[in-house]
Amino acid sequence: MLELGPIFRALLRNKIGAILIAVQIAFTMAIIVNAVFIIYDRSQQTKRPSGIDEANTFFISSSGFGDDFDIKGTITQDLEAIRALPGVIDAIQINAIPISGSGSSMGLQTKPGAEHDGTGVAVYMVDEHGIKALDLELIAGENFAKSDIRWRGPAGSKWPAKVIVTEAMAKRLFPDLSYSEAVGKTVYINDVEPMIITGIIDKLQAPWVGWDNLDNAMLSPEKMEFQSTRYLIRTVPGMRDQLMKTVEELLAENKSRVVDGMRSIDYVRERSYRGNTAMIKILTTVIVTLTIVTSLGIVGLASFSVNRRKKQIGIRRALGATKADILSYFMVENFLISASGVVLGAVLTVALNMLLVSALSIPPLDWFYILAGMLVLCLVGQAAVFGPAKKATEIAPATATRTV
Amino acid sequence: MLTMTNVKKVFRTDLVETHALRDFNLQVDEGEFVAVTGPSGSGKTTFLNIAGMLETFNEGTYQLDGEDVSHLNDNQRSKLRNEKIGFIFQSYNLIPDLSLFDNVDVPLRYRGFDAKERKKRIEESLDIVGLANRMKHLPSQLSGGQQQRVAIARALAGNPRFLLADEPTGNLDSAMAQSVMELLKEINKKGTTIVMVTHDPQLATQATRNIFVKDGQVSEINDVVAMHVANG
Repeated sequence: MLELGPIFRALLRNKIGAILIAVQIAFTMAIIVNAVFIIYDRSQQTKRPSGIDEANTFFISSSGFGDDFDIKGTITQDLEAIRALPGVIDAIQINAIPISGSGSSMGLQTKPGAEHDGTGVAVYMVDEHGIKALDLELIAGENFAKSDIRWRGPAGSKWPAKVIVTEAMAKRLFPDLSYSEAVGKTVYINDVEPMIITGIIDKLQAPWVGWDNLDNAMLSPEKMEFQSTRYLIRTVPGMRDQLMKTVEELLAENKSRVVDGMRSIDYVRERSYRGNTAMIKILTTVIVTLTIVTSLGIVGLASFSVNRRKKQIGIRRALGATKADILSYFMVENFLISASGVVLGAVLTVALNMLLVSALSIPPLDWFYILAGMLVLCLVGQAAVFGPAKKATEIAPATATRTV
Repeated sequence: MLTMTNVKKVFRTDLVETHALRDFNLQVDEGEFVAVTGPSGSGKTTFLNIAGMLETFNEGTYQLDGEDVSHLNDNQRSKLRNEKIGFIFQSYNLIPDLSLFDNVDVPLRYRGFDAKERKKRIEESLDIVGLANRMKHLPSQLSGGQQQRVAIARALAGNPRFLLADEPTGNLDSAMAQSVMELLKEINKKGTTIVMVTHDPQLATQATRNIFVKDGQVSEINDVVAMHVANG
């Protein structure tokens, strides 16, 4: 900081270029810091575990046709046949696939009556194989027994007497109790229908990845007597792709129905978070482009300033400045510009974040992103100015005596 | 104070070799005021650049204040330049963005003096040249003569043993030129050795010794004081 004062005073007398670069740095910082934060936030979202064995699970949908199509019989036979296949850990009929984007939700409440508010919960209708097929951990209570499972008809609206909920759901329903104390409690669905919590599972996400209550899920002990059905199959590691083919062929043997869809959970995740992935790519491009443009701006201003001050640099050298003094002059000058840029940038970053928080419902920025942004932008400035500053040190002291 | 022995300086381009100085020999003693004259292209400025260590030379030796500077590196030359030499340039070479105070401060900062010492020296040297009351002004707010006085203050502030002046009055009218010359003579009287390059023989006669440079060599040395005495 050898010449901080004179550099600052000289800058004030040539402020237009410096102010433009400082403003550019400020805007770049505001955009970059918010973009990095959004990227981090979205990539964390994308990485949230659904609770199921994603890598080794797939689902297959089929629809029966004709009046004589035996729904119950077909489902029972299908599940028996699929579960018997080598490499299948377990298989279930299920109404919705976690993180897939479509499913059904209900409200659960601790007191009966329409005057009480319910807590939103994703409903998964499964049989006693549900916990194993979904790779869930039962952390309190017990699993459904085979006798608990009932058939739900196409018009059925009544709910079974038992329910298993996620730990997150248990905590939402009974915030003052530990999750294991929720076992045995009665909750109400459809305002007044009682269900007893018989078990707590560790984690299972709802089908909607953008939902606030993503971790609220319940298992209802039911099989569905619907023309269209969906099976979820969990395999031993490495067998999924092979078993997708086998199961599809198996179902196709029954000529009274058509297989109308089959996907791995990996694919489901990729599709559900495609928006995030695209946003991350776009924002990364914006960050890189802005950094390059700002760096070029700094290089441009510094080169211009070195060329304009060739004589002055020669004079300084003649008056005793070493090459290191000249280098530090330009580095310090850039630091002053960058520093004022990032201070303004910090204010703009917070303002932009407030705008984004209300417009895009992203969480507010953590303060260390701002600090890191300030540091990084200053370093970018120093790196960008180094070339022109190094060039300035090559200006000969004898330039001072040339009359040009 | 300054001894150059057989100094050679060759400028080379792809096509041509220019011998700016050839076997240049000169001794300047402490307390002298030497004027170096000669036609354009004679090597005056090259001599000044080498004397001020602004440029290196190809052959010969150069001793400044008893120290052989021939083999010093860039940093050592910068340091020595800063400590021993005060420069006065034809076009003043003040830094336009800096106030007079900051301009005079430039070499003092490179010397590493603390703020208090620098302030004292700046005020003293601006006082010597009669501009202490305009410290906050910018060079552009001064006349040419005043700007050259600031440049002299800047050269004096580091208390150098030796002042190198390159056409110090070249851009001034005769009245201003004379006042600058008077200032230089006064400084010389106080003990500072001065070497002044000029193309003006009238000014040169005001120095204590004249050196005439031609074709990169010292061709004539006149002892002006002796001449004045001899001429009665």
